[in-house]
Amino acid sequence: MERWALVSGLRGDLDLYEQIQADLQKQRGTAHLFVLGDMIGPHPNCDALLKRLRQPKRRDLQPHCIYGWQEEQLLSLHGYRGEAKAEELHRQSDESEVRRLLQAVGTEHLNWLASLQFGLIELDCGLIHGSSADVGDELDETTSPLILLDRLTRLEVNRLFTARSGRQFRLQLTGGQIRSKVRDHAGEQLNDQPVPRRSVIGVGSSGNYTLYDPASDHIEFRSVHDQLRAR
Amino acid sequence: MISCLHANLAACEAVLSDIDQQGIDTITCLGDLVGYGPQPNEVIELVRERSIPTCQGCWDEDIIDGLNACECSYPSQLAERRGHRAHHWAAERITENNKAFLASLPMTLRRDRLLFVHGSPNSQHEYLLPDMNAFAALERVETAGADTLFCGHTHQPYVRELSDGAIRVSVQKDGNHSDSEQEMILPMRRIVNAGSVGEPRHGSTKATYVVHDDDSGEVRVHEVEYDVATTCQAIVEAGLPEVFAWRLSHGFEYAERAEDASHVCER
Repeated sequence: MERWALVSGLRGDLDLYEQIQADLQKQRGTAHLFVLGDMIGPHPNCDALLKRLRQPKRRDLQPHCIYGWQEEQLLSLHGYRGEAKAEELHRQSDESEVRRLLQAVGTEHLNWLASLQFGLIELDCGLIHGSSADVGDELDETTSPLILLDRLTRLEVNRLFTARSGRQFRLQLTGGQIRSKVRDHAGEQLNDQPVPRRSVIGVGSSGNYTLYDPASDHIEFRSVHDQLRAR
Repeated sequence: MISCLHANLAACEAVLSDIDQQGIDTITCLGDLVGYGPQPNEVIELVRERSIPTCQGCWDEDIIDGLNACECSYPSQLAERRGHRAHHWAAERITENNKAFLASLPMTLRRDRLLFVHGSPNSQHEYLLPDMNAFAALERVETAGADTLFCGHTHQPYVRELSDGAIRVSVQKDGNHSDSEQEMILPMRRIVNAGSVGEPRHGSTKATYVVHDDDSGEVRVHEVEYDVATTCQAIVEAGLPEVFAWRLSHGFEYAERAEDASHVCER
């Protein structure tokens, strides 16, 4: 079976994207590239990267993009999200940063960004920028396993690939249980529920990305930064 | 705890009288004062007169904010159309003063480690059904920082205890090796659903509420008989969908259950 590459947080950096594409050329058997949001950011100009994602070069591994937290903020600034007006962005940034994000993306890309999906389900895997709860949900290896299990349960997937925290990790639920006792008009029901064997994978951000082999369930965390340093 | 009063004055009066007879000193309302029933203003005014602390239900929210939940709130399109008819009927009749009261209601109420909500801590529209995934149910209570979560919305009363929980995990980071296994012991938590005063759907026409003893922690579900026929007649005379009267006189959900009751409307 063919491997997947999972990338996020390019934030308008076409050079970085080209380095990742070059790195992928060297990886045998990598056939699918998923870009889990944050293609844009307060970069001087994101248009060149967006154009490349929309119109890949012949040698590029074709990217499948979903939207991330940055796209959500930009789209809500432009009125694509009903009454929401990028409250999160305003809370976290000053006005100059909001302005920079607005200026970084040409309006010709807005409808394309607005057409992107919140998440993808591939085989038994969920691919989302944040989580099934919210695009801004930051999950990492220190997040309570109860919350991670909830996010997996909401999607009914065995693996959730997330990018929002920027961390690279795989947390596997390996065992455990819970007892539920319900008393209602039908009487009393006792039920022991085991923890399902599921996992949450942080794919990383920027030059840190992840390769996944669905056939063997093997995960490899890669970094193009390491390779630059090694040169 | 009383919930889902749904503009049914006869049921509200009967339940409050039953509560008074037991000498209970703290009443908390979990929302949905209006919708389905024929006496929205009367029920709001009764709650206001008695100064009952109340959190906002999904129907209360919709009357203030307009219908902005997606079709997921209803189990079928027919049910949605009926719901919309009832919404417009109520929105036209509820006084501005009473609407301002509904708008002032908080999403949640808290007393120490007891949390009171309409649907779930996440949303007035989320159903915490008794057979919901036990870990997800525990997550709702634990993330909200409560020991016991009181909710309504499903119109079916229940007491659920989640205990003896543990989750084991192993973590792989930069390298390809896995760290040793860790175990998280989960706390014991409870979810108590008060059922419905004004539109019971638990297989009986009796109105329900729950009593919590703050000292012993004991929870009991109470059922109260009231004059169902009077409210049914008022529903028909008001021109509301007749199926609401049918449902009231049978005590269970008329339409099929939603496909994914745990779905949270993002709109």
